[in-house]
Amino acid sequence: MSMNFSEFKKLLGADPWNRDSETLRARNSAPEFEQAAADAEAFENKLQSALLVQPSPDLLEGIKTISQEPARQRVWMPLALAASVLIAFGAVGIVWKQSMQPPQWESIEAYLADHYAHDGAAFIERATDAVSEQEINRIMASLNASAGQKLSGRVTFIKYCPTPDGRGAHMVVSTQQGPVTIIFMPETNVIDGEMVEFDQMHAYLVNLEHGSAAIIGQRSQAVKSLESMVRTAIKTGEIGA
Amino acid sequence: MTIDTDRTERFNRLAEAYSTDLYRYAMWICGNDALAKDLVQETFLRAWRALDNLNDVSAAKSWLITILRREYARTFERKVPKFTDVDKVVVPDDDELEPDERAERELLRKGIMKLDKKYREPLLLQVVFGHSCAEISEQLGTSKSAVMTQLFRAREKLKLLLQKDGVTGNVHELF
Repeated sequence: MSMNFSEFKKLLGADPWNRDSETLRARNSAPEFEQAAADAEAFENKLQSALLVQPSPDLLEGIKTISQEPARQRVWMPLALAASVLIAFGAVGIVWKQSMQPPQWESIEAYLADHYAHDGAAFIERATDAVSEQEINRIMASLNASAGQKLSGRVTFIKYCPTPDGRGAHMVVSTQQGPVTIIFMPETNVIDGEMVEFDQMHAYLVNLEHGSAAIIGQRSQAVKSLESMVRTAIKTGEIGA
Repeated sequence: MTIDTDRTERFNRLAEAYSTDLYRYAMWICGNDALAKDLVQETFLRAWRALDNLNDVSAAKSWLITILRREYARTFERKVPKFTDVDKVVVPDDDELEPDERAERELLRKGIMKLDKKYREPLLLQVVFGHSCAEISEQLGTSKSAVMTQLFRAREKLKLLLQKDGVTGNVHELF
């Protein structure tokens, strides 16, 4: 049974490039069918043209930097398990050592290198989902600070961490260049705008109204580009909730 | 080492093949360049972490779209601003369009942004990704006949917009 004109138009509206035999037969059955098909194709061309938007080239470049982060450790599972045991023992040792005496670092570089070597890569690996604003607010408020929405909407991991002058916050932030670490140090002052390097990483230091922040990334990541966001988003000296 | 290299190459091939279309889809879903880029970045970040789960390369496109749609629903949907900056990222007119053709296209763009999500999403999956009605049905978890109705209505709304208001019309009354 052949398709009537109304059915044909509905089919064109749903699937204008349909080329199955029944549709082709209907298309060639009468001039108004042919005209309707031609109109539909003309409209499709307009639609496709209207939908053409183009991302800036840095999108693809940014995506490719993602593959520089450590891969999931499937094939290295036995090693990962062994490493986990070592890390667990190491963690116990560190806690014990910290309980005996507060950590001392010669410089901010030494602190960042030491701290990042312990946790940095592991926390980035664990940073998979957006953290709730409630959790971010809870931690930041307890440090007498807050994280504005520009920052909190990108945080995929947050925990307390030691800093040269007491407790701070270790955050992993999702960016176009891949995950970046931000250490908020509420009681530590740094040389504003200084770039420090350690291991394969670099960090851009930002003095805040109270305390400071270090934006840490791989050397291929333009960590300085997050300066403005960090300065405007992290408000310090606020009354904790 | 070889496994890591292969993995990276697989990932980069996916990025090269699909990042532009995913960006287009994201842009027309959220209407904001920065959010669309973030959305695509997040999609590929998750894809990188779960790449070992992708056994069938031919399923990569649908897999990435699924990640993107989930990520949008989970994180980004509530952040979408009221304004749109589609105009900033449109492909420049290389061809010499007549003023009325240019205006018509502009009207069509506004109309697409104003389409209800239930019409816009299947339309984008079809036009941007070249999905068949059956693939859209699978992607959206609705019946094929429902998808065909939505696609038909989406086009009818846009055609009506062009016919009724021409190049100077107001798109709001139609949606």
